[in-house]
Amino acid sequence: MFFYYCRLAWLSIRRNPVLSTLMMAAIALGIGAAMTTLTINYLMSANPIPGKSEQLFYVQLDSWDPNQPYAEPNEPPDQLTYRDATNLKEARQAKLQAAMTQSAAVIEPKELGKKPFMAYLRLTHNDFFELFEPPFLYGQGWSDEADKSGRLTIVLSKKTNDELFDGANSVGETITMMDREFEVVGVLDEWQLKPRFYDVTTGAFNSMEHGYVPFKLRETLEMPNSGNTNCWKSPDGEGFQAFLQSECINYQFWVQLDDADAEQDYMSFLNAYVEQQKQLGRFPRPLNNRLSDVMEWMENQQVVDDDAQVMFYLALMFLLVCLLNTVGLLLTKFVSKSGEIALRRAVGASRADLYWQHLVESALIGVGGGAGGLILAWLGLQGIKSLYGDNLAGLAELDLTLVAIGIVLAIVSSLLAGAYPTWRACRIPPASQLKTQ
Amino acid sequence: MLTMHNVSKVFRTDTVETTALQSFSLQVNEGDFVAVTGPSGSGKTTFLNIAGLLESFDDGEYKLDGHSVKNLNDKALSQLRNQKIGFIFQSFNLIPDLNLFDNVDVPLRYRKLNKAERKQRIEHSLEVVGLANRMKHLPSQLSGGQQQRVAIARALAGDPLFLLADEPTGNLDSKMADSVMSLLEDINKAGTTIVMVTHDLAQAERAQRHIQVLDGKVTEQDKQAAVVSPLRA
Amino acid sequence: MNHLGPIFRALLRNKVGAVLIALQVAVTMTIVVNAIHLISSRSDLIARDSGLDESNQFYITTIGYDQNYDARYVTDTDLDSLRQLPGVVDAVQINALPMSNSGSSTTIKNAAGEDAGDAGAALYYVDDHALNTMGIELLAGENFNATDITWREMNKGTMPQKIMITATLAQSLFPDLEPEQVVDKTLFNGDDEPMTVIGVIKQLHAPWVGWGNIEHAMLVPQKSDSVYAHYLVRTEPGQRATVMPEALAKIEQRDVGRMVLEHDTMTQVRADSYRNDTALQSILWAIIVTLMLITALGIVGLISFTINRRRRQIGTRRALGASRGDIMSYFLTENLLITLTGVVIGGMGSVGLNIVLVNNFDLPRLDYIYLPIAMVCLVVVGLAAVFGPALRAAHISPATATRNI
Repeated sequence: MFFYYCRLAWLSIRRNPVLSTLMMAAIALGIGAAMTTLTINYLMSANPIPGKSEQLFYVQLDSWDPNQPYAEPNEPPDQLTYRDATNLKEARQAKLQAAMTQSAAVIEPKELGKKPFMAYLRLTHNDFFELFEPPFLYGQGWSDEADKSGRLTIVLSKKTNDELFDGANSVGETITMMDREFEVVGVLDEWQLKPRFYDVTTGAFNSMEHGYVPFKLRETLEMPNSGNTNCWKSPDGEGFQAFLQSECINYQFWVQLDDADAEQDYMSFLNAYVEQQKQLGRFPRPLNNRLSDVMEWMENQQVVDDDAQVMFYLALMFLLVCLLNTVGLLLTKFVSKSGEIALRRAVGASRADLYWQHLVESALIGVGGGAGGLILAWLGLQGIKSLYGDNLAGLAELDLTLVAIGIVLAIVSSLLAGAYPTWRACRIPPASQLKTQ
Repeated sequence: MLTMHNVSKVFRTDTVETTALQSFSLQVNEGDFVAVTGPSGSGKTTFLNIAGLLESFDDGEYKLDGHSVKNLNDKALSQLRNQKIGFIFQSFNLIPDLNLFDNVDVPLRYRKLNKAERKQRIEHSLEVVGLANRMKHLPSQLSGGQQQRVAIARALAGDPLFLLADEPTGNLDSKMADSVMSLLEDINKAGTTIVMVTHDLAQAERAQRHIQVLDGKVTEQDKQAAVVSPLRA
Repeated sequence: MNHLGPIFRALLRNKVGAVLIALQVAVTMTIVVNAIHLISSRSDLIARDSGLDESNQFYITTIGYDQNYDARYVTDTDLDSLRQLPGVVDAVQINALPMSNSGSSTTIKNAAGEDAGDAGAALYYVDDHALNTMGIELLAGENFNATDITWREMNKGTMPQKIMITATLAQSLFPDLEPEQVVDKTLFNGDDEPMTVIGVIKQLHAPWVGWGNIEHAMLVPQKSDSVYAHYLVRTEPGQRATVMPEALAKIEQRDVGRMVLEHDTMTQVRADSYRNDTALQSILWAIIVTLMLITALGIVGLISFTINRRRRQIGTRRALGASRGDIMSYFLTENLLITLTGVVIGGMGSVGLNIVLVNNFDLPRLDYIYLPIAMVCLVVVGLAAVFGPALRAAHISPATATRNI
C-alpha cells in the first residue's frame, strides 16, 4: 500500500506543479535557513573530545584582587599565574597534569630558499600528549627529564613537518628557532580540535599550533607569551623574573581525574594549596577554586557565539513561517482534491486509508523540500564562509549527522504541516462531493 | 438482502430542520433491478446515500446482507462499501490523473488483493464494458458514455452484492444513455442486483421494479407483489 | 467600507485560511522588526569614529629573529626612513593597533589608594609623532616632546611620568571637570604609581571593538625594544596605494635579522574587526527579503484558492450588480482586515522577542519607531500580494453564476 500511496502522491504533486513547487520551495527555504544556523551552533557546541570530556578538568584558582572579583558574580580568574601553574605541576596530585600557554617564534629553515616563518607554539608539559591524545605520525612526546631541564625539544604539527621536511620522518632532526637548535621528538598527524578547548582565551576556533615545546622554556629562554595577560597588581620589582613571579595570569592548567573520588581529592588538594599560599600572603580572596570538565568549561566560557544563537532562533521562526505557509498551501491542495477523496471513500477507503495516503504525500513534499533545503544550507554555509572568512574556519561544514538531521527535520516539519490539512480533507462528507463535479 | 425499515433522516442547521426521509421502508432482493424515481428534494438521493453507507440515519433499521449497519464504525462501514456495494454516479467521478486500468483498480487496492488477482479482475470487468483495449487511456480521452462504462467496470470489479446507480445517464445524450442502460440490463441479467435512482420515467419502466419516493416516503410499490410484507407483518 | 460587516462575518465562517495568513504576517513581522533592529544597532557600532585618519593609514608588523637583532637601532632607523619617504606624513612605532582586537590595558585611578575612582584604559606606547601620525586632535595641554620618550623593556611594568588620555577617559575619571582642567592632574596606575596628564586628546579607540569602554585610551611616551614592532604610517591624502608598497620594500630590504609578519591598511583592519557584524547584517537582510517573499507568495496562494472556491459566489454578486471595483475592494478589504490583525499580533510578538533577546543575549532594547514602519511595510506587501488574485476575481464573468460546471 505504501508504494501505491507514493505513486498517488507523485501524481498529485505533478498535477499542480506550481503549487507543489511553492510548497517545496517554502520548506526548502525554512530548512535551509534552520540547517545553516544549526550547523554553526552544532559545531560550536560540539564535544571536541567525546571519549574523555568528563575526565579532563580545567583548574581555576581565585588569586584575584581582594576588592573585586575577576568577573561578576564572584567568578575566579580564567587563567593561572606562572607560580601556581608550576607549583601545581610539581605537586603531581592528579593522574596527569599539564600547564600551558601560547608563544611564538620564528623558525629559520635550514634548506636554502625557504623563508623564515612565524610559528605559533604551545609551551606545555609532556602530559599534554596523554591528556588530549593527539595522533602521532612519528615519534612521541618528550620525556619527564626534558620537562624538568627544559631541553630544546619540539613536537611538530603535520603542516609544519610538511613545510620543513616535506613530510618525511623528522624525528632526531633539528630545527632552528631563536638561534638555537631544537630536536624534533615527534610529529603529529592532522589534528584540529573544534573548539580548541584547551585554550579558549586565544580563540576557541583558531587553528592548532605549529609546534609544542617544554613549558620550562618560558623561563629559561624567556620565550614571549601571547594570549591575554591580566594583572590586578603590578609586578614587585623589575625584570623578567619579577614579571614571571607576579600575580599576572596567562596560563591554563588541565588535569585528568578519572572518577568522582579523584575529583574530590584534587579539589581538597587545591584548597589546601591555596590555604598554604595564604600563609605566604597571597590569595587575598575567600577560597573559590573550581574544577570544570570540558563541556562545563565550554559553557562557562560561552564558546557558542551569541550572534550564532540569535541567528538560530530567528531561523527557527523563519521555518515556522515557512510551515504556516505550507499548511495553507496543503489545505488548498487537499481541499481541491475533495472529489477524489469522496470517490475513494465511496469505493471503500476508510478515513485511516486516506489519512495515510495524504500523509505520504506531505512527507514526499517534505523529502523534496528537505533535499532542496540541504542544497540551500550548503549554499548558505558557503555564503557564511565568505562573509565571516577565518572567523568561522571549519565551522561551516555539513557532515553526515547534519544531513540526516536536515532530512528528518524536513519530513517531520512537512508531516506537522500536513497533519491539519489531511485531517480536514478526510473529514469531508463523501456524499456532498459525489453529486456534481 | 437490502432491507430498510422505518428509516428516517433529518438534516439540521442552526435555524432549519429538513426531514429527508421519514419512516422509509424498502426491501430489495437478490437479482432485482429497482428504479427509484421522485421529484427533486423527495429524498431519493438521501435514500441512495444511506443505502450506500455514505450517510448515517437517525432512526429505524437498515440491514445489509442480513446484518444491521447502525452501530458500525468507519472502518467496518468502509469495508462493507468496498466489498458489497458498487457505485455509479451521474458525473462518473473518475480520477483524472489515473488511466482506466488504475481507475478500476481503486476499490481493489482497498481490498488488499494481490497484484495478479487485481489485474485479472480489472481486465475482466473492462472487457465486460467493452473497453479492454483502452486500458492505458486517461478518462479525458474518452466520450461521456465510455467514461460511464469505465465507472461501471470500476463498480463491477469488486464483485459487489449490488450496484447503486445515481442518475447514471443524466449527463449523457440519448444514444449513449441507451447503450449504458442496455449494459446495466445485461449486468442485471448476469445476476447483479441494481438499485438505480433516476428521474427518467422511460428508463424506470425498463427496470424490473419501480419505486416512487415523495416527501421522504415510499409512496408507490411496483408491479411485482408486496415484497416488504415480511417486515411489515 | 460599508460592506465591512459582511466581510468580517464571512471571515469568521472561513477562519482557518485567515488565521494562517494572520499568523504568518505576525511571525514575519516579529522576525523582521527584530532583524532590522539588530541590523541598525550593528550599523551604529560599525559607524563609530575611531579618531584615526583610517583612509590614509597602513601598518607594518615585523619580528626580529636573529640573535644579534638590535631592536632599538632597527626601530629608530626604520622610523627615520619611513618618515623621510615621499608621500608619508608621519610614522610611529606602536605596541597595539586600534581596532585590531589585540592590545593591553590597565586600570587607572584618579587618586592614590584602594578606594579611589577607577577606569580601565587601553595602553598605547608611542612617541611624540603619535598625534600627527594618527591624525588626532589635542583638546588641551600639550603633546609629548622628543626628550620624554624612553625605551620600554619587555615585561616591565613601570610607567613613565607623563601621559595623555582621551576626553572620554578624562570624563570618566573626573566627571565634573572640563578637559582643560584635567591637564596636570595626577593619575595612578594601580594603587600607587603616579602619572601626570599632560594632554587630553579628542578621541581614540581602544584595540577591542567589543569593549564597553572603547573610548578609554591612554598614550604612554615609550618605544618598545621587544622583537615585535608595529609601525603605523600616515600618508598624504590619496597616496596610500603607492606609498605602502614602497614602505614595505624599504623595510624588507634591510638585512637586520628580522622579517615582516603582516601589513595592511587601517581600512582593512576596521573591516576585519567588524567583519562579524557586517556578516550578521548581510545574513539578516537575506532573511528579511526571503521572508517577505515567502509571506507574499503564501498570501497569493491562499487567496487564489479562496477566490477559485468562491467563483460562483463572485459570479452571482456580479450578476446581481456588483461592479469590478466592488469585487476588488471586497478582497482588498478582506486582506486588509487579516493583515491588520497579523501586524497587531506581530507588534506584540516583536516586543516579546526583543525582551527575550535583551534578557538572554545582552542586545539593546527595541526602538519602537520600527513597529509602525514594519506594520505599514507588511500591510503594503499584503495588499500587493492580494492585488493580482483580486484583479482576476474582478474579471470573473457574471455568467459563471448560471453555469453548472
